[in-house]
Amino acid sequence: MDIATQRKWDNAVRGYDLMNAFGPERRWEPWKRKLFSHMAGNVLFLAIGTGQDIQFFPPGRRITAIDISERMLDQARPRAEKYDGDLDLRHLDVHDLDYPTATFDQVFTSCTFCSVPNPVDGLRALGRVLKPGGTLGMFEHTGSRFFPFGLMLDLMTPLTRRLGPELNRNTPDNVQRAGFVDVVVEPVYLDVVKIIRARRPN
Amino acid sequence: MERRPYFLLGDLVSNTAVGGLVALVVASVVSETWPMALAMVLGMLVGDFVALPAAVGLSVLFGAMELMLPVMLSGMLSGMVVGMRAATGPMSTDAALGLGASLGLLGLLATYGLNAYIQGKHHQRAS
Repeated sequence: MDIATQRKWDNAVRGYDLMNAFGPERRWEPWKRKLFSHMAGNVLFLAIGTGQDIQFFPPGRRITAIDISERMLDQARPRAEKYDGDLDLRHLDVHDLDYPTATFDQVFTSCTFCSVPNPVDGLRALGRVLKPGGTLGMFEHTGSRFFPFGLMLDLMTPLTRRLGPELNRNTPDNVQRAGFVDVVVEPVYLDVVKIIRARRPN
Repeated sequence: MERRPYFLLGDLVSNTAVGGLVALVVASVVSETWPMALAMVLGMLVGDFVALPAAVGLSVLFGAMELMLPVMLSGMLSGMVVGMRAATGPMSTDAALGLGASLGLLGLLATYGLNAYIQGKHHQRAS
């Protein structure tokens, strides 16, 4: 377990829902609902956090949701208990996934790979536990190639990295580098907030 | 494209308010003794310095990147232009506010325009 990252997110839990629960989640709701509506089979959800995304999960699904922060999971548990389906929370680091190879049909993430310390390794770990042909669905924010937004995000990242996410990652490239294929990127806001879909090769 | 009235109004109020606030700060700092280039650069930096905490606070209500990026652009534009204007002569409070709010609106429209362009290109490729 990456103790430094765990500690960072344990510390972030205070104020996390205040900052994110209303404005950002309401703004992103239509796209998250659309992405998560494709959940089927045995699903792994990476970085459930305080469980804000659970409200957008379609009912009746079988989902394993993990997070590196036990304190975040404590906040998520009441929300998970209300979910109308099979939702199991686990305290796990993505780099230490203890599931056998090819366990899950699908993996979903939501504003996660801005923060995973070694994103390509983390994505490779997800690829390992996905069945051949299994799908990856991600709702993420990244850097921008448009001036001045790219520059702003680059300049802010050294500060935001200490408290939470990096703002200038190239997550679609990381997905490809991790060995996923058929990578499709759908813009949600500028080229910064996006939905990324990919597949583990057969 | 954003169509929900709550977020459209939130974007409009946020960007014009931050543009106006930045304008007031920069107009109170820059005087006609300043070189134009210095006024422009410092105004831009002050604009971002003022806009960032405002964006963090407003994002609680109106969203993360969708609020922060246009507000930062609006702050930068307002700081830059008002800085240059203030370096040519004194500005009244009303004039600074009006110019700053207008530049905030311009920053918002520019971001909306870029977003529409990116979405349009995506839909063209997808179809």
